[in-house]
Amino acid sequence: MANLINTTIRNAHLVSVDRRTTLRWLAAATAAGQLAACGEKFSGLAWPEPPPITAKGYGKDPNLAAPKVPWPLTLTKQELATTAALADLILPADGEAPSASQVGVQAFVDEWVSAPYPDQQAQRKLIIPGLAWLDTEANTRGKTTFDKAAPEIQKSIADDIAFKDKVKPGLEKPAEFFTRMRSLTLGAYYTTPEGWTQIGYPGNNPFTTGPYPGPTPEAIDHIRGVLDTMGLKLVFPDNGKL
Amino acid sequence: MADDYDAVVVGSGAGGGMAAYVLTKAGASVLMLEAGRDYDPSEAAMLNLSHDAPLRGQGTPDKEFGYYDATIDGGWNIPDEPYTSAEGSKFMWWRSRMLGGRTNHWARNSFRMGPYDFKPHTRDGHGVDWPVSYEDMAPWYDKTEKLVGVYGNNLGLENHPKASPGVLHTPPKFRVPELFVKAGGDALGIPVVPARRAVLTKDMDNRKACYWASPCGRGCGIGAAFQTTTSLIPWAMATGKLTIQTGAMVYEVILGPTGKATGVRYIDKASGAHREAKGRVVVLAASTGETARMLLNSKPNGRPEGLANSSGQVGRNLMDTVGSSLSAYFPQLEGRPIYNEDGAMGLHAYIPFWDYKNVAEGKTTFTRGYHMEIGGGFGEPGIGGFGGYDGYGSSLRGEVKKKYGARFGFTQRGEMIPNAKCYMEIDPEKKDKYGIPVARFNWEWSEHELNQVTHFQNAVKSLVDKLGGTITSDIRAPKDAISTGGEIIHEVGTCRMGSDAKDSVANSYGKTWDVDNLYLTDGSVFASKAHKNPTITILTMAMRNSEQIASRLKSGEL
Repeated sequence: MANLINTTIRNAHLVSVDRRTTLRWLAAATAAGQLAACGEKFSGLAWPEPPPITAKGYGKDPNLAAPKVPWPLTLTKQELATTAALADLILPADGEAPSASQVGVQAFVDEWVSAPYPDQQAQRKLIIPGLAWLDTEANTRGKTTFDKAAPEIQKSIADDIAFKDKVKPGLEKPAEFFTRMRSLTLGAYYTTPEGWTQIGYPGNNPFTTGPYPGPTPEAIDHIRGVLDTMGLKLVFPDNGKL
Repeated sequence: MADDYDAVVVGSGAGGGMAAYVLTKAGASVLMLEAGRDYDPSEAAMLNLSHDAPLRGQGTPDKEFGYYDATIDGGWNIPDEPYTSAEGSKFMWWRSRMLGGRTNHWARNSFRMGPYDFKPHTRDGHGVDWPVSYEDMAPWYDKTEKLVGVYGNNLGLENHPKASPGVLHTPPKFRVPELFVKAGGDALGIPVVPARRAVLTKDMDNRKACYWASPCGRGCGIGAAFQTTTSLIPWAMATGKLTIQTGAMVYEVILGPTGKATGVRYIDKASGAHREAKGRVVVLAASTGETARMLLNSKPNGRPEGLANSSGQVGRNLMDTVGSSLSAYFPQLEGRPIYNEDGAMGLHAYIPFWDYKNVAEGKTTFTRGYHMEIGGGFGEPGIGGFGGYDGYGSSLRGEVKKKYGARFGFTQRGEMIPNAKCYMEIDPEKKDKYGIPVARFNWEWSEHELNQVTHFQNAVKSLVDKLGGTITSDIRAPKDAISTGGEIIHEVGTCRMGSDAKDSVANSYGKTWDVDNLYLTDGSVFASKAHKNPTITILTMAMRNSEQIASRLKSGEL
């Protein structure tokens, strides 16, 4: 839960841009003929470009002991809520495992799309319009924003864009957005200590003294078995005479 | 800086660090000039979490190799210190502006050059031979490796010499994916053997053995992974004979009326003041690019070709390692028992070049070798490592877990033959912030390198097939698969050594033919670029050259 609290604190300083602002921006885009109301008419849409980031990066000699994100975060409250909802659709809580939003994936996405570097700037142009698209689509299908939409509405939207062989014609751009959000969500999740626990990474941890112990007997037996079935042989390396 | 020193050493990386160490140990007073800032290895963020770094530590144009990479004020581009590539060329130049230079973050891969590597021209008619043989160098490799601390195998494979007994540290055990790939290699006659790296596996002097955590590129504050800032430089300081001046951007060597170097001129970056440093001998170890740049920018008596360049070879013969890579996925490694696979955070295993027989018999379309650096397993998940999934929901958790530890990478590191199209010169127009004319690079790979890439791709295909895996990266045409010049950060050769003053810049001790007290101890003196990573040879050459300097200083010859 510590992460959740941190996330909340970190978001507290956000410029208070609410849902109305997002919708206003969307309305403007629609008026400009850029946005169609629903999926079928989406093809040919000029994905509206969000305002660029002008902040500076952390430079070539940042403090490594006390890392800080020096650039202002830029997602609105609504964008954060939609990001959290999408992230949880991608990676919901499962038994002991926290959901994506519970480890603060939405705050990380904010840090990511607000960063002044070329890779992140390019992704910003995909992600911010994508979030707006989700809200528009939820509005069309359920008269509300994506984060407040019923689970079946959220799923119906995702089903149109989340499977690489089943993307609904015309929704290629939203599908590209979804693909990016999925890798970003998974990346953000599995780079947290909670994610490490889920995957089994023991951490960057000086766990032993003396020589590196190497694979456990169980791991050795397993790979020997695998190689046997392939007709190959497990042979430990020879170091020669040191 | 009114004092005169026995030696002025420019640079504090592998070549400069070794020169300062050997010379001060021999009783000489040394001034070391470093263009970057001072660096304390305890700054290394060894155990910090990527999670706490901006963008989860992902590389950015500010820190290309990641937030926690040891490199300070460096990378592919330094804002105030540009370089250029000639039209039609692309070259990448990595610099570090810090005490210890690039030794603070290098991969520590330390493969000795072998007998073939010193006499490449004799073997295939390309390039030039070195003015030294492996037999000349062997005792120096032993001394250097013993001092530096190198783990590795001592198998003595063809052109991969053994170290003398007692030199090498015990290499760490293979991890499961390495054992798996070795089984495939054994079946195909492709050797998968313990790698050699400059990482201690037992305590030595003031340095600790590896504790099996922390990526070596972050810098190693415990001194296990070799860097000059935990070893050669503090040891030289302990003699009381070393003075270090950081923030000193050297731009020219001063030539006295008798034709000897009297010192160097530099810009004190903090004040912008131009200063001189004087010494009985000048040692340049500023890196292959910077050393050549200093010589070309030094124009004694208005000589346009620069200093120590009567051969016209300064800046020529620029080489880098041939690089390309392929990724594989092995379903056989899915769901295997988990354990700590971080190990030495670098190579435990590698594939040395093995196809010498076919090369010797003319059955290959290239004549020089390469090795493969290999790895994969249960490493720290990275923010960029989660492409290629489909759908959404809890099933993704199982997919992620299944694939964890089943990916494996093969990286080619090959020898390049020097060619007339690869060289460095001074840009006729552009200057850096300090007013120093900048380096301009010219680059073009030849068919020797491109054909080698094909051999690598075919070898990886056969190995991955044998092991039931799939290659997950695109197998591109060699011209697209090959690295950009400089990208492997093994650039060498701009002031090559030779046995004839007419076609080389320095003699076999790195002494420039034209100036009796001007020595070069960095990668610039390489006569060829074996596929073996250059640092251990730079250190070894620097030790040998510096011993000669020390004895000439003692005898009063200098």
